[in-house]
Amino acid sequence: MLIVKLAFRNILRNRRRSLLTLLSMGGGFFLLCLTLSMSEGSYSNIINIFTQDHTGHVQIHKDNYLERPSLYKTINHADALIDELEQQEEVIGVAPRIYGPSLAYGKNKTFPAQVIGIDPLRESRTTRLDNKVQQGNYIPNKDSADGYFPAMIGYSLAKNLHLTIGDELVLISQGIDGSIANDLFEITAIVGDASSYERMNVYISLSAMREFLSMQGGEKSQVHELAIILASQSQARSFALKTQQQLGDSDLSVQPWQVVESSFYNSMQADKKGSYVSMGIIIFIVSIGVLNTILMGTLERTREFGVLKAIGTRPLAVFNLIMLESFVLAMISCVIGLLLALPVCIWLASSGIPMPEPIDMGGIIFDTMLGEVSWFVVLLPSAVIIISTLLVSFIPAIRAAKISPLKALQAV
Amino acid sequence: MTILANTIAEVASTKRPDINKNTVIETNRLCREFGQGDTLVKALTDANITIERGEFTAIIGPSGSGKSTLLQLIGGLDTASSGDVFLDNKNISHMTGTELSDFRRDHIGFIFQAYNLIPVLSARENIEYIMLLQGISAAERKSRVDKLMHAVGLEGLGDRRPAELSGGQQQRVAVARAMVSKPSIILADEPTANLDSKTGADLLDMMKDLNEQQNMTFVFSTHDPKIMERARRIIRLVDGCVVDDERRG
Repeated sequence: MLIVKLAFRNILRNRRRSLLTLLSMGGGFFLLCLTLSMSEGSYSNIINIFTQDHTGHVQIHKDNYLERPSLYKTINHADALIDELEQQEEVIGVAPRIYGPSLAYGKNKTFPAQVIGIDPLRESRTTRLDNKVQQGNYIPNKDSADGYFPAMIGYSLAKNLHLTIGDELVLISQGIDGSIANDLFEITAIVGDASSYERMNVYISLSAMREFLSMQGGEKSQVHELAIILASQSQARSFALKTQQQLGDSDLSVQPWQVVESSFYNSMQADKKGSYVSMGIIIFIVSIGVLNTILMGTLERTREFGVLKAIGTRPLAVFNLIMLESFVLAMISCVIGLLLALPVCIWLASSGIPMPEPIDMGGIIFDTMLGEVSWFVVLLPSAVIIISTLLVSFIPAIRAAKISPLKALQAV
Repeated sequence: MTILANTIAEVASTKRPDINKNTVIETNRLCREFGQGDTLVKALTDANITIERGEFTAIIGPSGSGKSTLLQLIGGLDTASSGDVFLDNKNISHMTGTELSDFRRDHIGFIFQAYNLIPVLSARENIEYIMLLQGISAAERKSRVDKLMHAVGLEGLGDRRPAELSGGQQQRVAVARAMVSKPSIILADEPTANLDSKTGADLLDMMKDLNEQQNMTFVFSTHDPKIMERARRIIRLVDGCVVDDERRG
């Protein structure tokens, strides 16, 4: 305990210098914490936006569907799997989808379109598609009995085809049995806007899609994709892994959003690496200050180290004393930094900073830069400050531990 | 390399079979040189001295005669250029840094000219420090510190930091610190040089009493006539050589 007492008293010995060092280290912690909070908060916000927009946190497909999508790569017995997934505690919603690239014909124009068969109720529980209806009504859960299948059409496609609510839409595609698929649909809603994900999409019910693509024979609950929304996006990887293990040797792939949206994820990681450079500069500046303090402190106390060693203190104990002093300084500075940073991060997480020019991200307006308060945001700066302080203290500590007691005693 | 290391370890742990049981220190052709070539200085040449338990010895000589060098070599603070130092029958000349630290802690007490107390520790804590390194129990530490504070006349001043004590009081703390671990020998390098003559005389009387009552071995390097008056043995050095070794009755 004496070594702890010595360390504290040595820190308090030159109070002004210790205070300035603590403020510099605490300031470094504050900046690191704030930078991380903004970076993590902003990315969390963006991830929430696109995962809840259409991707989901986890997706299930037939093997290689993402790399080479095909009409024939279907998940069989999807209903049973959906029921099983919906029993999982962390699952908020599961949206089954069937994709069919088609030719859309309206009035006298033709455009390529992505036709997506959805379960309207499950889709609205999983994504925000129902909130993106610009005109008309969200697709009903049951198909109309008057011979028309209802369809929701993307804003750009509707504009290109000069279609509006109540108009007829003809879709032409290839059925799963190789036949020409064609059918007549009635537009009940226009969804999204010119920049959103669904701008060139057509949404019809799963049953209409199965009939359209002649998927009704044989396995009746075939789908191409299951998009799953979890209670938290941070659970995505572990949930995907767990579900993949539960599926055993099946030919299905369970992938988290990081794989499904790999290009976004990779660019996000690259951007984060870029912000680590600026964090590195902060750490470097703080470390120089700490090195100066520790070096000055050990140089001033050279004679004292000589006395400690002369009366029987082992070199390792001298080394430990200096490292402990640095550790205590780092811990106190982390507390100071945390006390400064936490209120700001909480405010950023709740209110955020309004952006001067809101950004339209796929039809979702990104107008506020939000912060995040999490263990990562607090623990990473703490670890960085403590480790960098111990690293810069290493050389002065080794020097003090190795110095000959006689030379140290002769120091002025 | 292994053979060499083993040989060194063997030499280091070798006990002198022919040494007198009462002998605390024996030096064997001890030499210390500084520099090399034209700048070579022989601070100590072939010093052979033996110190018995309970002696009150003064090493005297003019400045640069090698008094402090001899004391530093005996105390394991410096390494001899050649020759050996046996302390409590153990050759300390080849010990590693950590072994020397442990040896100094358990066998040698130091009193320095400039007191050299730890400024952030109180008088009590300065005295207690070595016992903490030795792992002595709290009760035993308290008992020893109380006795020594009484013996050196510092009762009631235990909580003061060195800066709050006079030079004489600080040197008394240093004496208590040197004695607290019950070392085989106390080495004092010009202990009265920074004190006024009365304080210096009082301190010496105190050390003399401790020497007589507790049979504690003291070796001083000094210019101070007061120490020479009180010493029972005077070793005189000139130009690094022992020129006289006078024992008094």
